[in-house]
Parts: sequence; structure tokens; C-alpha cells
Amino acid sequence: MELLGTVIGVTVKSLIFIIVMFLAAAYLTLLERKFAGHVQQRPGPLHVGPHGFLQPIADALKVLTKEDLVPDSVDKVLFYMASLLAFVPAIMILAVVPFGEPFTIFGLEIKPYVTDLNIAILLALAFGSLSIYGVIFAGWASNSKYPMIGGLRKAAVLIGYEVALGFAMVGPIMQAGSFSLREIVEAQSGMWFIIPNILAFVVIIFAILAETGRTPFDVQEAEAELVGGYVTEYTGMKFGLFPLAEWYIATFVLSAIAVILFFGGWQPLPLMGWLPIPDIIWFFIKVFLLFMFFLWVHWTLPRYRVDQITELAWKVMLPLALANILVVALWIIFIG
Amino acid sequence: MHLWADLEELKLLEGKFSDIQIEKTENFTSITVKKEDLLNALGFLKEDLGYKMFIDLTAVDYYPQEPRFLCVYILFSPDKKKRIAVKCWAENDSVPSVISLWKGAKWAEREVYDLFGIKFEGHNNLVRMFLWEGYKYHPLRKDFPKEGIQEVYLPSLNLRPEEIPAHNYSPYHTYVPTMEELEKTQKSRMEKRSQIVLNWGPLHPGTHGTIWFLFDMEGETIKNCEIILGQLHRGIEKLAEDLTYTQIIPYTDRMDYISALCSQVAYVNTVEKLLGVEPPEKAKWIRTMMCELQRINSHLLWLGTYALDLGALTIFLYAFREREKIMDIIEGIAGIRLNSTYIRIGGLSKDLPEGALDVIKHFLQDFPEKLDEYETILTKNRIWLRRNLNIGIVNKEQVYQYGLTGVVARSAGVPYDIRMLQPTDAYDKVDFDIPLGRVGDCYDRYLIRMEEMRQSLRIIEQCVEKIEKLKDDKHISTENPYVLPTLDEVFNSIESMVKDFNLRIYGEQAPEGEIYMSGENPRGELGFYIVSKGDGKPYRIKIRSGAFYNLQIFPELIKGRTVADAVALLGSLDPVVGETDR
Amino acid sequence: MVKIKYVERPELTNRERIFFVDFIKGMRVTFRNLLRKTVTTAFPFEKLTPPKRFRGTHAHRVKNGKEPPSFKVIEKFMDIDTGESRCVACYMCMQACPVPFLFNIEAVQLPDGRKKVVRFDMNLLNCMYCGLCTEACPVDCLIMTDIYETASYHRASCVLHIDDMAKRGIDFDRRRYDEPDRIWIDDDQRSKLWGQIKWS
Repeated sequence: MELLGTVIGVTVKSLIFIIVMFLAAAYLTLLERKFAGHVQQRPGPLHVGPHGFLQPIADALKVLTKEDLVPDSVDKVLFYMASLLAFVPAIMILAVVPFGEPFTIFGLEIKPYVTDLNIAILLALAFGSLSIYGVIFAGWASNSKYPMIGGLRKAAVLIGYEVALGFAMVGPIMQAGSFSLREIVEAQSGMWFIIPNILAFVVIIFAILAETGRTPFDVQEAEAELVGGYVTEYTGMKFGLFPLAEWYIATFVLSAIAVILFFGGWQPLPLMGWLPIPDIIWFFIKVFLLFMFFLWVHWTLPRYRVDQITELAWKVMLPLALANILVVALWIIFIG
Repeated sequence: MHLWADLEELKLLEGKFSDIQIEKTENFTSITVKKEDLLNALGFLKEDLGYKMFIDLTAVDYYPQEPRFLCVYILFSPDKKKRIAVKCWAENDSVPSVISLWKGAKWAEREVYDLFGIKFEGHNNLVRMFLWEGYKYHPLRKDFPKEGIQEVYLPSLNLRPEEIPAHNYSPYHTYVPTMEELEKTQKSRMEKRSQIVLNWGPLHPGTHGTIWFLFDMEGETIKNCEIILGQLHRGIEKLAEDLTYTQIIPYTDRMDYISALCSQVAYVNTVEKLLGVEPPEKAKWIRTMMCELQRINSHLLWLGTYALDLGALTIFLYAFREREKIMDIIEGIAGIRLNSTYIRIGGLSKDLPEGALDVIKHFLQDFPEKLDEYETILTKNRIWLRRNLNIGIVNKEQVYQYGLTGVVARSAGVPYDIRMLQPTDAYDKVDFDIPLGRVGDCYDRYLIRMEEMRQSLRIIEQCVEKIEKLKDDKHISTENPYVLPTLDEVFNSIESMVKDFNLRIYGEQAPEGEIYMSGENPRGELGFYIVSKGDGKPYRIKIRSGAFYNLQIFPELIKGRTVADAVALLGSLDPVVGETDR
Repeated sequence: MVKIKYVERPELTNRERIFFVDFIKGMRVTFRNLLRKTVTTAFPFEKLTPPKRFRGTHAHRVKNGKEPPSFKVIEKFMDIDTGESRCVACYMCMQACPVPFLFNIEAVQLPDGRKKVVRFDMNLLNCMYCGLCTEACPVDCLIMTDIYETASYHRASCVLHIDDMAKRGIDFDRRRYDEPDRIWIDDDQRSKLWGQIKWS
């Protein structure tokens, strides 16, 4: 009986999470377009619904009803699998991210997370690495020159930054003493982990920008060079899944992990603990602020060349991450 | 300012080569040599007399005469600041090639071969420049009709016969290339020696218009590059042989459509020198002011698209916000934002409306802080520096060999600016600086263009001050017999109406002769070589476009670099396809 | 006086490199622009009025008492009523036009010796909108209005004929004949982009 209850609970929670994530990703597109518009002194979407509020629904309908062209000479199995492989791992990371402390409504105890594994961070990193397969399959299966170059470029960038990301996460893990994300948040009740781990924070910012393909690392969207990169041959919803997965879902989820690791998760901001705001709302506020920071960087800076990106990953980010481990080790020995 | 060579120098040539004719008029100095002596004479001019910069190479067709083609070479000496032209009759339709002396002659000779059919002996790759492989005719010859030889029936143009509106519509069309011919052209231009041949194709968001690049690539580095031009070739030089001098003005602003007013001013200055017309003082100052406004406009478009290609997406929209203001000014003065046929022979078509100077003064106060904003985002940004430093370095020798002009020459340290060498209109009465670079890479060209925008603001300030004092002056000198009268004069006096009728039907009967003169376009030197036989219509117009010769150095500089650098280099050379293809 | 000036190439100091000062300054500019008001006009709900000199579609002015003296000289040779287009079939616009075969003008001689214009077609599909034809008309008949929305579904409806040109001319003169020749007249709509301009 308990097993059935757990299975039903997990299924219902997963469904709720996935549907809410889709809606949130759709409205994140609206947020990005309005933000980009106002940075450029223009209004962004304005007429579909009041101030453009129904624009994401119009976009979703457009992408679903577009003609889906599949060229003859592609490798069909890999072509179809590539868009799924780019999209599904990003959502799977949600399975291990906790959003707040357990609370009770109407006598039922609800835990706002799907699972609470004791190796949560390792699983999150593993799921993130699966999305590289999507890029390589898309570039290979399209059977054309531009996608192949684009796919190879992106794969090279992603591999470099996965390594840097992994090493940068070691700092907070050492300080908290466990891989479980919930215990990392609880270990920050004294002081947030941003202070000794400032180098790791810088590395994680660059790594998230590179993983999700935003300027200054968006060799993928370099229209002037490669038309569309590995998504050149995709149309319709198969195309729609690629930027949705990369730019919005992956950014959101990776920002959530960064907030948990460095900024105290769902704990209230310093000196504002007396406000009657529940934990989940604090968590979302912090994640949105970090998301807006990524948007701000995207719409300001120019982009690097691909060999400069990989040079940056292996020659600058990796040594910084290793140096951070040394600093945290000394901090633990001498201070905490 | 007299820019043509002195007679004493030319007498030296008479001693060395037999059978030389020297003609010297006020507008043009030329030496005619025989075909056998051509290479020696050019070599002597280049090495000993110092005429080392290659400006232009063209041909003129004197049809029933035998030999019918006359090749004209125009050279410039950067030390003495003088020009000279060398002519040579092409006996048996062939001429020795000069690419051993100037590498920039490669494309010029291909263009002459394509349009006239003259063969150049010793050229290593004599293929067509603008038209496709397999085309049978040579269009600029005098026996090729203006409408083309109409022999192809195109069913798609004749699908609905009740819908045809044009008065001279004919169902047969001149020859149009098919897909097989385009593929044959592509294969014959580039042979594959490395891993892949990438088509940075005619329709691409990164090339500024329809230029077709072929890259022979190994991994990400480019080993060889070839450019196929001609997708926007409209045959302006052929059309101009049938139009009067005033009717050619709308065509000149469709070549380099981004800096239309500068092209018009260069053309009208050339024709005024040929006819001997002097515009009034106020017209000169207004022309200078509009030219500099158009220069800021063109550089802002360059900045927006260059930053967009390299990834900074907001600068594109900031630059276009400023361009909207300039286009509002041009629309209020000339009538249309882009192709504003505003300049006429003898002055301007209409005077400034009221309120124009107030708006321009407001723009002058507003713009410098916007320029500072762009510089804050880009100039010291480390990503920008890494994408631009030491890419596409041009040295002085390449400037002289290829005939590079404009910002590309000034970035290498060569002070070549037509506003300084041959100032027309009010350029000799204003104070401004000409920025020069030392290294010659893309970063220098970026800095020079930003500085040029500030100097243009200085010139416009001085023009506005001067125009306010000249409020009551005329804007076109209609007492000259070559100048079209204004509408008020036509409405009120019969002599003006008769003069209007004569000039429009018979054209401005220019005196017999030829002239070469140029103006400083934002893209380089835009020169016009006009041959007139005493008619109202020019016998031959050759448009020397700066963007065409600047683009020629691209395959040279891109060898060994990646595709990402190709984007940066193409952006900083700044070609506009309307001008490269004409 | 023209002088030559060498451009300076700035270098990044070490302090700027470590603390990302170049990025921060650029992002501050973007943030400042985020807080400013938008400068766009929401076309097609708000439109800017083109200036009086704008070169839009062509029209013919009609005989209404405001003709120039040059018309009065030719008037006695033509059969034109009040309210009809002033065209005197001099073919000057056709001569001035840089595009061949754009105009198709025909006039017949009536039995009492006067001329009448029966056909004046302009094929706007070939037109360059250069305005040379309006500068050639000696009786102030051919003008360019401020109408720029002329798209249509059939090629034949892009050819103008003399009666709709006359109608368009009457409409344009009724709206804008008495306007001063100013650089633009809709100051409020343009102030979104320009701000406040000090007029003299």
C-alpha cells in the first residue's frame, strides 16, 4: 500500500513539475523578448493580449502547426532522436532539484521535490552531459556541411565546460560534506557558500553561459557564420525544442542548481528574514534574478571565436576551479 | 587643384620610347603608346617616375574604327600627388597583361574581358567576372543592343496574358542563367584540393548582400578562397550611354545605396568640371553638409552590421535609432530617405526647408554622447579586442599594388583622401582631421571609422554656421546655359521654358573630350571616367568603384584563417554589393 | 585646414582584466537604456505624416484658378474644363524620365483645332520615384503626393490613368495645399524619437 502511495505521489508530482516547467519556459521566452526589447528602446511583443501576454501561446501554436520538412538524405533515426536527446535530459535534472522545506497543507505532508537522493549533484551533472549526444547526432544526421561544422564546434565547447563545471562544484560539496542538494542548503544556514567560493562562482557563471549557448559563447547561433549551425535542417516543433531546451529550460535549471550551491537555496535574503514569504517564493526570486543576469550579459557582449572559447575553458577555467578547491580546503582547516 | 602630371616629366618618356603621343588638357593628361611598348612604358612610369599606385583599368569601344578597342590605365603617384593616364590600342583584340606590375589589375582585366572581349596575354586565370561561364556575348560592345538579344521564352513571365501592363512588354527575354550553368561556373572557379569546399553562398545572412564566396577548407582553416561576383550586376554603364547627364543622377545613387548623396556629389562634380559649370556658394556648403551627414549614416550602418555579425546584438539597434534621425532629416530636405536624387548639375534641386537647420543643430548636440556609449560597450572590451586585433593586416605595398582606397588605405598609414588631394565644394574651407592608423588591422579600421564620425560632426557644425549667414543666396546657378531652370522660372518666363525643353530633349551638349574625377565615398574612392563626343549623352562612362578594388584583397588576407575571421574581415572591408557589381 | 591624426589603440590594464571592469561598464550602458522610454511608433495604429516634399504616388493638379502664368499661354490651344487635369500633352515628363516606356501619353486634335488628352498612363512598376518628371512639367500639373501604400494583387492595377490621378490631385490639394514648406509638421509624434527641439 505504501509502495502504491509513493508511486502515485511521485507520478503526480512529476507531471505537475513537467507541466509547470513547460509553461514557465514559455513565459520565460516572453520575459526575454520584453527585456531585450526594452534594452534596445523598443517595446517587444505588444499586441497579442495585453502587453503581449498571450504571445507565448501564439508562438507555441505557430511552431506546432508549421510544415515539418525532413530532407531525404538524412539518417532518420538519429535525426528524430537528436531533438529528444537535447530536450529530455534538461527536464530530467528537475527530478533531483529541491524547491523548499517540506510543509503541511490540510494535514498532508508535501515535500516540494520529486526525490531526495544522497548523490543528487552527481546525477544532475550526468544528465547534463547526456545533452551533448543530442548536439552530435543533430550535426551528423543532417548530412550537410553547415550542420556538421556547427555540431563539432558545439560539442568541443560543451566537453571543455563540463569538466570545468564538475571541478567548480567540488568546493561547496567539500564545505557541506555531502552530495545531497537538500543537505547543502541546510549547511548554509550560518553563512552562504558564495564567500569562500568566489572563484568557483565565476567559473560556474562562464560554464552556464557556455552550456546553454548564450553570448559570449553562442557559436551556435552565429548566424553570420553558419546560418543555423546544427539546427539548419530542422523545422517545426523539432526545431522549437532545441532553443527551448537550451536557452530556457537548461538555463533555468542550472541557475537553480547555482542558487542552491552558492546563494543558500530557499533561505531568505540577509536582513529580510522577517518578511512572511514562504521558502518556495524566495527560491524563485533568486533564480529569476540570476536568470535576468544571464539575459543582461547575453544582450550586451559580443561573441568569442570557437578556438578562443576552448582555450578559455582549458587554460583559464580549469586552473581557477582547481585553485578554488585549494582555497576551500584551507578555509575548512583554518576557519570552519 | 591641378592633379594631372606636368609636361616636363612626360617629355622624358618621349626620349625613351618612339611613337608616343601626349595629350594634355585641363581635365585629362594621357600618353598613347603602342602595344609592344606598353609593359616597358608602364614599368618606367612605376619604377623611375614614381607612379606606383594603381587606380583604374578600363576600355572604350570605338566601333566602326579598326582597331576598335582602346585600353586606358590610370595611375597615381603618392609622393608627387599627381595622376596620369596611359592609353593603348588593342590590335587583334588583345593586350599584354600588367599583373606582373600591379596585382590589382587581375580583377580589372577580368572585368574588361567579360564586358568587351579583349584578351590579356599572360593573365593566369582569365575567366568572366560578372557573367556566367557559357554566356556567348560581350555586353558593353557597341553592337550589343541595350535590351539584350531577346531569344529566350520564359513561360513564368507570361502565365496570365490578360495581366500584362507594360507598354513595351515582349514575351521573349534576354538570356538568363540556369542552375546547371551556375553549378558549372562554381566548379570551374575553384578546384577542390583540401577537405571540403564550402559555399558561403549568394544568399547568406552574413555576407553584406549577394556575394558568393567559395572556401576551400581543411577543418576550420581556409586554404584558398575565390569570389564570384555579378549577382547584382545591372549594367549601369551600358544604360548610361542612352541617357542625358541629368537622367543618370538617379542611377548613381542606386549603386552604393547606403551613401547615395556622396555618390551623387562625386558624379555631379565630374560633370560640372567637364561642362565648366560653377555652382553658387550656398549650394556648395549645403552639398558638403549633406555629404557628411550621409557619411555618418553609412558608418553607423557599418557599425551596426559589424557588431551584429560579431555578436553584440544591441549595438545594431542603437545604431539604427541614430540612423532614423538622419533619415528623417534627409526625408525632410530631399523627399525620400534612401535614394534621394537631390543634387543637380549647377546646384541642388530644392532649397532647405524652414526648420531644417534647427533639427540638424539638435542632432549635433545629441549625437556625441551616443557615440561615447558605443565606444564604452565596444572599444576596450576584451572580447572585441580578441576578435579584431591583428586580423587582416594591410601594408603599404598592398595599398599601392591593389589600388586600395578609403579607410582600408588609411589604416595602413597611407594618407590618401580625395577630400584632401582634390577638394571640391566647400572642403577647402573647413577644418577637419584625417585619422590614420599604424598597424592596418581590423581594430584600426574600427577606430578610424569611429573617429571619422566625430570629424564629420565638426564639418557639419562649420557648415551650419556658414549656411545661416548665406540665407538669401540662390541654390542653383540657372544663368549658366547647361543648367536646368527651376520650376518658378519655367512658370513665369518663356525663355526658361524653351531652355528647359531644349535641355531635356537634346541633353547637355558637352564639349568633346574626356575627364576623370573622383570623390571620397565612405567606402573608398568613387571615380567617374567620362568620354564625350560632343553629344547630349556620354559616349562611355566608367565607374571606378572603391568597394570593388577593396574587395580584391580579401582572398589574399583570408588564407590560413578561420571562417569566424572571414566574417570580421569582410565586415571591416565594408563592401556594398551595389557598388562592386554596378 | 586639413590635418592628419593618428588613432590611439587603448590597452587594458591588469586591474581592469581581473575585475571585469570592461564588461561592467558596457553592461551599465545597457542597463541605463533599459530604463529609458521606448522610441518606436506603433505602426499601423500610429503613423508619422510625411513632409510636404515627400515623393509618393503621382497625381495631376486640376484646372481650378490657381494655375501658373505658363498655363494661361497654352490654355487657348487645349480643350480642358474646370475640374479636369491640366495636362497639355507637351511630353516633357516622358522626355525627362530615366526609364524608357514608363509613360504612355496620347492626345488627339479636335476638329476646331484644339487638342485633348485622351490617355495618360504611368506604369508605376517601373518607376524609380526620382521626381525628374515633376520638375519637368511646365504647367504645375504632375505632382507627387504623400501616399506610399500602393501595394495590390494584380499588375494591371499598378498602372495609373488620368482620371484617378486627377481625383488624387484634388484630394491632395484639399488636404495639404496651404501647408508651409517645413521640414515636418507632426512635431508631437516625432518628439518620441527626437525629444524637444528648439525651433527658431
